[in-house]
Amino acid sequence: MIGLIAEFASETALLRAVDRLQADGFVGLDAVTPHAVEALEDRLPGRPSPIPLVILIAAIVGVAGGFGMEVYASTVSYPINIGGRPLNSWPAFVPIAFEIGVLLAILSGFFGFLIVNRLPALYVPASDAPIFANASRDGYLLTIRTGDAVRLRPILDGLDPVRIAEWLP
Amino acid sequence: MTMEAIAPEVTAAGMTDDIAGIALGRRLKWWLPCFVVALGGLGLLGAAIGWLFYAGVGIWGIDWPVAWGLAIINYVWWIGIASGGTFISAFFFLMRVEWRTALNRIAESMTLFAAACAGIFPILHLGRPWFFYWLFPYPNTMGLWPQFRSPLLWDFFAILAYVVSSVLFWYLGLLPDLASLRDRATSRRQQIAYGALAMGFRGTASQWKHHRAAYGVMAAIMAPLVVSVHSIVGLDFAGAQTTGWHSTQFPPFFVFGAVLSGFASVLFLAIPLRRLLRLEPYITEHHLDVLGKLMLTASLCVAYAYLMDAFSVFYGAHPAEVTMFIERAFGLYAPVYWATILFNILAPQLLWSHRLRLNQPLVMAISLAVIVGMWLERYEIVVTSLHRTNLPSAWGVYHATFWDWATLTGTIALFFAGFLLFVRLLPVLSMFEMRELIGKRRRQP
Repeated sequence: MIGLIAEFASETALLRAVDRLQADGFVGLDAVTPHAVEALEDRLPGRPSPIPLVILIAAIVGVAGGFGMEVYASTVSYPINIGGRPLNSWPAFVPIAFEIGVLLAILSGFFGFLIVNRLPALYVPASDAPIFANASRDGYLLTIRTGDAVRLRPILDGLDPVRIAEWLP
Repeated sequence: MTMEAIAPEVTAAGMTDDIAGIALGRRLKWWLPCFVVALGGLGLLGAAIGWLFYAGVGIWGIDWPVAWGLAIINYVWWIGIASGGTFISAFFFLMRVEWRTALNRIAESMTLFAAACAGIFPILHLGRPWFFYWLFPYPNTMGLWPQFRSPLLWDFFAILAYVVSSVLFWYLGLLPDLASLRDRATSRRQQIAYGALAMGFRGTASQWKHHRAAYGVMAAIMAPLVVSVHSIVGLDFAGAQTTGWHSTQFPPFFVFGAVLSGFASVLFLAIPLRRLLRLEPYITEHHLDVLGKLMLTASLCVAYAYLMDAFSVFYGAHPAEVTMFIERAFGLYAPVYWATILFNILAPQLLWSHRLRLNQPLVMAISLAVIVGMWLERYEIVVTSLHRTNLPSAWGVYHATFWDWATLTGTIALFFAGFLLFVRLLPVLSMFEMRELIGKRRRQP
């Protein structure tokens, strides 16, 4: 098994390379890019991000939990009779329920992002290959793990990469 | 004349090197003197808070009937300024406008430090600040709960949610740029610091997929959040029976005012930064033009709120309301009222002219006028209402003391100290979003 990294000058060149290699039956492709490339999400394997669903659940839990806490406090735990007004004065509980929902949603979005990506990961062996530093500047990198480097190399060369490097995956 | 959202010669590599170069140690001659001045002001803030904790809120000008003085004015002012960053980074992200990209980092950082300044005041104002945690609904041996029906408690939750969310939204957007800094850093110290902060973000396809999903949904949550925060600040006032406050228009009125001061503050910071850091290729005249239009729009919204404020007083014709309003416009604090109209409504009308929108010194002057004007507006709302409430026997006068002004000055220094550190240590533009924009422009010329 060997890993090859090809650097391309543009998003378009990267996508063309992905399409070509997948048509030729190569699997084990991944990309490292300077910004999100939306078109890669359909091409590379993997399910859609679970984060929106996680955020939705956290928001519902936050709103329901916050609202429940307010109702419990005002009607059961600490009821105060203010001129005979209803104890469960629910419209007044909406703002805090909303804010707690927002707080939990944002917390779950941020920490959910870290968890699904297994971050923080302070040392990643791949980053020993200096070429990866280009991906945070202007290089669109395609990494390919293959047992068939002999067949891969000429195809890659024909896809007009800026440079090609090897690394041990 | 067509104006571009980014100069045509900008490349992703050149932009990344340029912006990362600032954070990684480009010499900024003006930075240290500015920071020293800010630190001096921070000392004043420390002294003002220390003396307040020792002597109590009696060192301020507040007393009956004006029990809300500069502390609340400053709080509302700062939280209003903070709104600008969230509006630009969340609303205009959802609208996918191109000019948002070069401004969102500056605007969001402004939000963070302004929100930090805002958050100090309610706690200082408590009188017994060491009991601030009583606002939390935590299990306690007294068997007590906070009053969930009070807008003041809503405000506590709103500010808590807003500050935490703003920090996390800002940091999530910063992660890819911290990775860029880590990869560009040459000294070991910088590699370690930015490497730790970037937490291992590398820009793999799956990291970007989750980043895009998380950032987009969080932006969609931040947008209603910022509206809720300022609506609740408005309800802090509208929930009281005080003359001039008890009005249903206060929530939108406070949102308009917040947005006006927010856009003004972004302009007031972006114009000099653009020149000092040579950001002209990224923050173009197009950005200044758009921000000018937004400030004008916000000013018109505020003008409408001022008109309705006056109209509803006389339409309702409650004697106490009318007395207070006449006092507001023609009494002891009348200069504050008219300065508010001049700074917030009349001065921004110059921005109807395209030529004047591009006149940077003038736009800075208008922005400063609005920033000051919005402070005066809160002074007018807080002080004149309380000094002429329903009962003539409870009328009184308010004047701020030295320590009031020292606390305000100190928070301005706190803001600038934080903002200067941001300019020195972190990328002032969202580099990864700029790269996306540059790539898109190259594909569709």
